[in-house]
Amino acid sequence: MIASAISIRNLSKQFQVPFRREPVHALQDISLEIPAGEVYGLLGPNGSGKSTAMKIVLGLVSPTSGTTSLFGMDSRQVESREQVGFLPENPYFYKYLTGLETLLFFGKLCGLRGTALNDKARALLKTVGLSEAADRRLGGYSKGMLQRIGLAQALVGDPRLLVLDEPTAGVDPAGSHDIRDLILQFKAQGITVLLCSHQLSQVQEICDRVGILHQGCLVAEGRIEDLVSTRNQTELVLENATPAFLEALATLAQSSNTRILAQRKPHADLERYFLEVTRNQA
Amino acid sequence: MHAAPAHHLFSPRRVIALAHNTLLELVRLKVFYFLLLFALLVIGSSIFTVKFSFQNPLQVLKDVGLGAMSIFSWLLGLSCTANLLPKDQEDRTLYTILAKPVSRFEYLLGKLSGVFLLLTVAVLLMSAMFAGVLGVREQQEINELTLSTPPELLAQAVAAVHAAAFQVSLIPAIALILLKALLCSTLTLFISTFATSSVFTILTSVVVYLIGHVQGIAREAWLAGGEATAFLKVLSAAVALLFPDLQMFNVVDEVAVGTVLPAGLFWQVSGFGVLYIAVYFLLAQVVFASKEL
Repeated sequence: MIASAISIRNLSKQFQVPFRREPVHALQDISLEIPAGEVYGLLGPNGSGKSTAMKIVLGLVSPTSGTTSLFGMDSRQVESREQVGFLPENPYFYKYLTGLETLLFFGKLCGLRGTALNDKARALLKTVGLSEAADRRLGGYSKGMLQRIGLAQALVGDPRLLVLDEPTAGVDPAGSHDIRDLILQFKAQGITVLLCSHQLSQVQEICDRVGILHQGCLVAEGRIEDLVSTRNQTELVLENATPAFLEALATLAQSSNTRILAQRKPHADLERYFLEVTRNQA
Repeated sequence: MHAAPAHHLFSPRRVIALAHNTLLELVRLKVFYFLLLFALLVIGSSIFTVKFSFQNPLQVLKDVGLGAMSIFSWLLGLSCTANLLPKDQEDRTLYTILAKPVSRFEYLLGKLSGVFLLLTVAVLLMSAMFAGVLGVREQQEINELTLSTPPELLAQAVAAVHAAAFQVSLIPAIALILLKALLCSTLTLFISTFATSSVFTILTSVVVYLIGHVQGIAREAWLAGGEATAFLKVLSAAVALLFPDLQMFNVVDEVAVGTVLPAGLFWQVSGFGVLYIAVYFLLAQVVFASKEL
């Protein structure tokens, strides 16, 4: 049996707050399985327990009860992180390091060295589009560049699992689009991705399944189509339909006990429009 | 995809990578500018002793130089260590590092090793400055003696100047100054693992430093004459156990006045320093290992 990339079983976490008798229940009896190769979105409002769940998965916080494992290995063990790349929310890497030095540093922590590490770092800089900025210190990087160098450092150890916490937070639409494309590229390479994001349209676009946390409980979980589709409705988008054809369609619908609920011109996606306009200007 | 290298529970390479990065951080934060103050102090005191002191100028210079080296290395260690962990946690770089296959022990050891490297380089630089200024003063003294001393007394007078200048016997004293700074840095690191702010870390570390300097005297005063109560005995034992007796490092003052440090005493004080460094580091590891990040 192939082990899941992430397996969370009956996970609970309580935080003791000073001067309060009752602990805060950050997570309550969460169980979920993320198969290898899947892009999974972990959603929820602020304070719902997403970050705590991620920290437990990465071994940064201990669970009060329950277990988490990565590819079958207890996530409290340091070795389990051999196969993981992590991009925290709003990452602030060492500002005094250049982009290349940052990747070399994190690569060394993953056990890489020498020419292999150097080649790997340069290839990753190219992948995330930062080759030109390789020798600039991170203190001078924009928000989008920091996110991209963050992605590159997460990839430096050739992980089988990527944990991305708000990878597009504060990034402009073009940068956000690039990061989305990179995530899809990782998915094509068979890398499992656990994604936390408030950008629900993007999550819908790239995730296979999502879990929704609310007040520490997993309130919904499943494939996006299953969660959001309206089971008794069908959407048709027609091109070059004449008024006569539309009238005939309406008559046909009426005769077969079907109701046409709405008829409108489809709108272009604002993000796509923004990208078209800005890229044409460039 | 490449095959992941086999994981080792403890990897010196990871510790070296962290230590090198910490050293780079501190160097690029320009903490070495701090040493310019030391240079100004030593050079200034060299000029001052020529003009105003009635004591042997080389002697005064050695007193000032070694004292300043001790204070500066302690302050440098304190300022560099107090913010190491809180800053990494605040900037979330700690999460990024510990999400790699890096144990908390390796992280802590790497960080502390970086500070140790910085302090070693700083003490070496201060020693070089100190030796340079002493050398210049020694040469000036000899030039003046050559003009003012009768030839038959010149050799003896020059030998006296050489004896008061930079001698090999100063090296163990400088090594103890470095060890004391390393000990105080490890103590600061330990405090920072449970402190809620850098200000608390710095203040607590300064208080422990002061207690460390007076606890030996206090203990002798409390227990002298055999009139000590059981409470005082327990209190003094507890203080001695918790706080390092930094007074022991004051043997450096004796070296400054020309006394050669006995090898036995040097190793005793060094052993004491290394033991406290190990104890404080292990305490830091125990607290840090169970910390919720």
